[in-house]
Amino acid sequence: MKELTYNTEDPIAALATGWEESAIAVIRTSGSDAIGLASNIFSNKGGLQKAEGGTIVYGYVVDPETGERVDEVLAAVFRAPKSYTGEDSVEFYCHGGIPAVSVVLSALKKGGFRDAAPGEFTMRAFINGKLDLTRAEAVHEIVTARTARAHSLALNRLSGGLEKRIDGLKKRLLDMLSSVELLLDYPEDELDGQAGEYPLDAKAVSELCADIGRLAESFKAGKVFRDGVPVALAGRTNAGKSSLFNLLLREDRAIVSEVHGTTRDYIESWITVKGIPLRLFDTAGLRASDNPVEAEGIKRSGEVIAEAGIVLYLVDSTEGLNEEDEAFISGFEDAERLIKLWSKIDTVPAAGEENDADIPEGFIPVSSVSGKGLNDLEDALSEAALGRKGLEDDVVIDSMRQRDLLSRAKEALVNTAAAAAEEAPLDAAAMELRDALDALGEITGEVSSADILNNIFSNFCVGK
Amino acid sequence: MSNTDFDAIVIGGGHAGIEASLALARLGFETMLITQSLDTIGRLSCNPSIGGLSKGNIVREIDALGGEMAQLIDKSMIQFRILNQRRGPAVQAPRAQADKFLYNRLAKETVEGQKHLQPFQDTVTDFILDHDSRNIKGVVTERGRRFTARTVVMTTGTFMEGKIFIGDYESPSGRIGEPAAIGLGSSLRRLGFRVARLKTGTPARVSSASIDYSRMEEQPGDPDIIPFSFANETVDRPQVPCWITYTNEKTHDIIRANMDKSPLYGGKIVGTGPRYCPSIEDKVVRFPDRDRHQIFVEPEGLGSDEMYLNGISSSLPETVQESFIRTLPGLEDVKIMRPGYAVEYDFIDPRQLLPSLMTKQISGLFSAGQTNGTSGYEEAGCQGLLAGINAAMYMLGRDPLILSRSEAYSGVLVDDLVTLGTKEPYRMFTSRAEYRLCLRHDTADIRLSEKAAYAGLRTPVAAEALAMKVKGLDEIKDLLASRRVGKKELEAAVGRVDGIEQRLGESFEKLMKVPGFSAADLLVLDPELENRNRRWLEQAAIDIKYEGYIGRQEKQIRRFKRMENLKIPVDFNYDTISGISVEAIEKFKDIKPLSVGQASRISGVRSSDIAVLLVALGRGAGVSEDDE
Ligand SMILES: Cc1cc2nc3c(=O)[nH]c(=O)nc-3n(C[C@H](O)[C@H](O)[C@H](O)COP(=O)(O)OP(=O)(O)OC[C@H]3O[C@@H](n4cnc5c(N)ncnc54)[C@H](O)[C@@H]3O)c2cc1C
Ligand SMILES: Nc1nc2c(ncn2[C@@H]2O[C@H](COP(=O)(O)OP(=O)(O)OP(=O)(O)O)[C@@H](O)[C@H]2O)c(=O)[nH]1
Ligand SMILES: [Mg+2]
Repeated sequence: MKELTYNTEDPIAALATGWEESAIAVIRTSGSDAIGLASNIFSNKGGLQKAEGGTIVYGYVVDPETGERVDEVLAAVFRAPKSYTGEDSVEFYCHGGIPAVSVVLSALKKGGFRDAAPGEFTMRAFINGKLDLTRAEAVHEIVTARTARAHSLALNRLSGGLEKRIDGLKKRLLDMLSSVELLLDYPEDELDGQAGEYPLDAKAVSELCADIGRLAESFKAGKVFRDGVPVALAGRTNAGKSSLFNLLLREDRAIVSEVHGTTRDYIESWITVKGIPLRLFDTAGLRASDNPVEAEGIKRSGEVIAEAGIVLYLVDSTEGLNEEDEAFISGFEDAERLIKLWSKIDTVPAAGEENDADIPEGFIPVSSVSGKGLNDLEDALSEAALGRKGLEDDVVIDSMRQRDLLSRAKEALVNTAAAAAEEAPLDAAAMELRDALDALGEITGEVSSADILNNIFSNFCVGK
Repeated sequence: MSNTDFDAIVIGGGHAGIEASLALARLGFETMLITQSLDTIGRLSCNPSIGGLSKGNIVREIDALGGEMAQLIDKSMIQFRILNQRRGPAVQAPRAQADKFLYNRLAKETVEGQKHLQPFQDTVTDFILDHDSRNIKGVVTERGRRFTARTVVMTTGTFMEGKIFIGDYESPSGRIGEPAAIGLGSSLRRLGFRVARLKTGTPARVSSASIDYSRMEEQPGDPDIIPFSFANETVDRPQVPCWITYTNEKTHDIIRANMDKSPLYGGKIVGTGPRYCPSIEDKVVRFPDRDRHQIFVEPEGLGSDEMYLNGISSSLPETVQESFIRTLPGLEDVKIMRPGYAVEYDFIDPRQLLPSLMTKQISGLFSAGQTNGTSGYEEAGCQGLLAGINAAMYMLGRDPLILSRSEAYSGVLVDDLVTLGTKEPYRMFTSRAEYRLCLRHDTADIRLSEKAAYAGLRTPVAAEALAMKVKGLDEIKDLLASRRVGKKELEAAVGRVDGIEQRLGESFEKLMKVPGFSAADLLVLDPELENRNRRWLEQAAIDIKYEGYIGRQEKQIRRFKRMENLKIPVDFNYDTISGISVEAIEKFKDIKPLSVGQASRISGVRSSDIAVLLVALGRGAGVSEDDE
């Protein structure tokens, strides 16, 4: 419970959108006097103070010390309890980019707001009864969603998609448990005709277990959508990395030239492939270098490559594979993270299907000039990010807490299945089922013993 | 010390009142037990039986805590069985048929023989309170007597403004033939207590001589009797059988045709009945698809001709009862001696009590038993004992004895009552307990001995018996760990113990973990084990067999205790917290939970309310994290 130590009375402010370059940034404030405080740093003070909840006021953010207009903004006013946090709140839509955002935040601080701690807005929303736990967790991702797909996934959870899914699992579990508890609550001889068979079906338990496991697994996908996957372009100098980088970005960001060793330091940018947010790194071509600047660049690129979730390794098709390439590829431990590209395929004379035979096994032919192979590359990227099956449905979890609770439920069901397989005494099996149910209950809200009894009596006919 | 007539007054000599008054007197407090009739002390109003699933565990908990019920049944049983042998150790429980006349007489004798305890026949009609009505001062009786005391324990059972119904007949009674206790219910209402109505029912008693047992199944007792009391080595009592018969479509047709004559369905009874122990009318209405219901025919006592028809409780007119009972095989010519009836009575909403069972409103006033909305002798007994102990603790200025949900069924019961209240007569079920693998009946002494010592009710005999048992269990476990299945053992067991052939060289301990092997198999392998205490051997075998499960349960308990150990002061000011829903604040103020764990169990409280409460408590509002 240590994390719940925020003081909930302070006015707080923070950037709600990401720090990276964007046209518009949203800065959110909240607190019982948020509107009053915000109006002190706003050119149209009266307009802001009088604004009704849910309306937008145009004006300038003014530095309260210098009186200087620091940015032209739209201020959205929310009045308690109809706001994200349930408190009074003003959201500023200002110009994107670190410099613009910094000056507005600094003006707000001078005006009496303090920096919000991570998750503090959501915490307040939760405390004020605006969100339950699963939704609170989902909000976090909406705010930080990098792509439209990530956004819709988070929205689905916000609208209770996850809750519905877990409720469904809980219901199955509760029915299973109830059929066991019924037999435990009444003596054998009083359950006329209802006492016969062993009530647990090992197959049904395993199925449920698998379904819970699948949801737990979606944590990985959820994380992909929330944090994005770092992807590094690697290869010898002049392999065509920067060219491919620009193609994937659809923008001429990296310098391209026929000079070996053009890229000296890595550069990065966000891209979206099939809705998956990727952080793409262009790196310095790998070669032995006496130039200390280039050597440093290569070292730093090495680190990027080591930490990347996916590595695109380019081999220039006009040059062919050499020992260095072989060494890099064979030295790469986790083959699933590596995508091998046969670059500049457009230059191969007599281009056509027949020379596919020259392409080494496992390489995807691509061309940054013709765009050939781009689709295959994107498929490969998506598969590497999400696994072969991709994202099976639209409910994913991405809080560690949920993942851990689901894993606990799964483990309890594995034990239950084992108990059921050997027809172990029911009281022991019931303990495992209850543990699983408790774990799921903790994700959305409690299941009490009274629920179990109620379920028994609503589903079963009991004599006595 | 004080200038009151007594230290404590207990109202009502039922199963709760007996335990409360004995506990207080044994702790040296001058106690008066006022009850309507001294002849009905400890009367078994309904079933002539004690124990059953989870209830049997409670009886053994009562014993471990220094109560009386286990001794009474050990001396009066006429049949013993362990229920649910096949369903696993945690849900097995002892049950015994009682000779109800003997039980009643023994209870009376025990109360009469107790030092510091004065039984007195009268009916309490009102309370005496101090000037601002915050503290109890004593009671007023029907005959106009006034007795003062420092504490009062109220255990009025089904008698407070009780009313019984048989068809058109109704009468102000708590049991058939016994007058209701009128007055106290109105006093409580006047004082502002929330008092409501519940109902329950009992079946007809019939003449054994008129039954044709050849048409019924016989249900004998177990050959081996396990005493309920941990202090008793053995029970040597005669055993008689019970009998099983069934209702049929004809029975149901008669009941359906006469439903309009039922006081329940005719709307005369307003109280809510028990869903779990319904009348036969209820069963026929609620389970129209069932073509039969099982009925147990149980003896009421050794010298008595009366038989109890378990499972066919009814408040239909007597003639209707007679005609449907006569449709049951074996009962074609039966003669009814006492008709079945329903009783409706006042109970107080138990959410008005602290976990010590003291009322929040009036200090020194405790309430226990059916009055708190429960049903059943065992449920009444454990509450009576706890209320008696806590009245004593209150007078001693010591912390109340509150059992946790992870320590005892009695703890589950009290926590459920004071936290959730009840809408129907509350009876214990194993499924109400989250941690029942750790609430086995054979471990009640180990679980609760320290609590009995805290209360001052642990007798030297009980302490000695427990010490011997713990030592004995350890020795047996050591032995099982070291003994192996050798050639000799294998020879002795082949053909008598399934699957033993594959177990050569394995330790007995390991063998116990294999599904299908039991303590009985060990006796075949090594007849020497016969010399060990058989019950301890079984208990050790269960401990070993379920070691993994029990270990996991203990882990769950540790998780549970984290929230239980976050204490909330009784006088905590919830109004100062912002962010908790109005509904939750009202509930917190009403229930006055003593821990965050208890607060989280209140119905309608959301996890966000608890989060805010934690924040508020963490901010120096007096939260203490004691690890027991
Ligand atoms: C008709 C009927 C049906 C029942 N059916 C079931 C059942 O199906 N299942 C089940 O588990 N349990 C059943 N019971 C309940 C069981 O009998 C009780 O749960 C148990 O006896 C409760 O114990 P108690 O100590 O709370 O109260 P009781 O045993 O009722 O004892 C209360 C005692 O207090 C005395 N008393 C009450 N008020 C006063 C007063 N103001 N002044 C002085 N003395 C007073 C009474 O005379 C009585 O002796 C039934 C009881 C009845 C009467
Ligand atoms: N025909 C053709 N030429 C390409 C292709 N990709 C890159 N080139 C050329 O290859 C040369 C090197 O390209 P870069 O993208 O700078 O290569 P790099 O791997 O980034 O090189 P360093 O930064 O030096 O390591 C340039 O002259 C590009 O125009 C391609 O797909 N087809
Ligand atoms: Mg480059």
